[in-house]
Amino acid sequence: MPDEIYFLCILHNIGAISLEKSMSIEEISQWTVMEPQKVRENLDKLISTQYIQKTYRDGSERYHVTINGIRKVLSMYS
Amino acid sequence: MKRGHTKMKVCMLTWEFPPRIVGGIARHCYGLTRALAKLGHEMHVVTLEFPGVSDFEDVEDVKVHRVKIELGHPNFITWTLIFNHFMEKRVAALSHLIDFDIIHVHDWLTTPSGIASKNYLNKPMVCTVHSTEVGRVQHLKSPDSYMIDGLEWWMMYEAKSVIMCSNFMMKEVVNHFHLPQEKVSIIPNAIDAHEYAVDVDKEAVRKRYGVMPHEKLVVFIGRLVPQKGVEYLIRAIPLIVRNHGETKFLIAGDGWSRSNLESMATATGYGNKIRFLGFIPDSERIELLKSADVLVIPSIYEPFGIVALEGMTAGVPVVASNVGGLSEIIEHDRTGMLAYSENPESFAWCVNKVLSDHGYADWIIENAKKKVNEEYSWESVARKVSEVYEKTCER
Repeated sequence: MPDEIYFLCILHNIGAISLEKSMSIEEISQWTVMEPQKVRENLDKLISTQYIQKTYRDGSERYHVTINGIRKVLSMYS
Repeated sequence: MKRGHTKMKVCMLTWEFPPRIVGGIARHCYGLTRALAKLGHEMHVVTLEFPGVSDFEDVEDVKVHRVKIELGHPNFITWTLIFNHFMEKRVAALSHLIDFDIIHVHDWLTTPSGIASKNYLNKPMVCTVHSTEVGRVQHLKSPDSYMIDGLEWWMMYEAKSVIMCSNFMMKEVVNHFHLPQEKVSIIPNAIDAHEYAVDVDKEAVRKRYGVMPHEKLVVFIGRLVPQKGVEYLIRAIPLIVRNHGETKFLIAGDGWSRSNLESMATATGYGNKIRFLGFIPDSERIELLKSADVLVIPSIYEPFGIVALEGMTAGVPVVASNVGGLSEIIEHDRTGMLAYSENPESFAWCVNKVLSDHGYADWIIENAKKKVNEEYSWESVARKVSEVYEKTCER
């Protein structure tokens, strides 16, 4: 499985599945035990495929899994 | 009184229900619950939240309760156990208002909450097995797989009745889990043929996807995971194009193998004829099926294969692997064509045959439609499930 898809699964499982539950890079880094730089690389790939959406809250970047991203993750287990 | 006529209060647990559509379970639960409600049963579905959809909804007399998952965890199995806790909590809350007669779970994903509910409500549990871990991964080799396999055994042990969708599944499960056969009922999946009774402007649909009027259209619809065998369709493409140069291939669906498959498609040298559409909504799915010349289902493991029924109802010739439930749905050379599994030459041969012989294709379409109408309606499936409920409660 490509690294970024594994990363997408983790984001889904930790609950970043809507705008209200979106997370910052620092929070994602803590949950995934991954360096912020690596987190950013994975996020960029997933944004380009529209599985992740980037938003801004109080001037800071937030990220959450899109509906297509949720389906992508769930397709592994159904 | 004839069996299946007692009206029951049913609590159905499923991790997917429209619009949270992943695989066949969502479609199965959607069709079945509405048909059971029409028979007079009080149907409650407890399922997971989905962005933009309300926590409670009444869908054609089916009460849908969507559970918020308040906690997360990076590990999928742990996440599953967490969401089961929240499902269980919702069932407990509902049970103060509704005296459920029966609990019905689908696959291992909702098994922990189903078993807990069964025990604290002291009501019987029915389970439907849509597929098994040992079938999906072919060999159990990771801790997660062993855990899922264990949960599947536990689900069938705790259930008073076990429903399977095909003889193939029944044999697989009875052999692997040593399940007493008397617990098992074989009830196929079904399809709502009315949804397909719509007029479609084929030319406009094909144009939308870049398919010209003179070109043939071959379609795959499903999850992009190894068990669906899409790589064998891709490997068959050069052999199809050799005979039918003006052909386009549309692959609808998503999954973790998508990027590998896209690379493989490019490597065939016919990347300009192959397009990956990603997930498509149901309305588009119907339009696409009704506009295609062939539907290919190259699965290497398929307990049932509801997409075959969709193709047959939509009036598109189906070429499928001769495996699992597909072999039971499709009669080779009469209601579709069965190809050797994992064999691109065999798929190419079948697709070429259908594309070359219009009379043959029309004959297959007619036979297939007749078969689906006679054998795979939700009304008939719901009656059979209703009988299982009644038998289960009598025991």
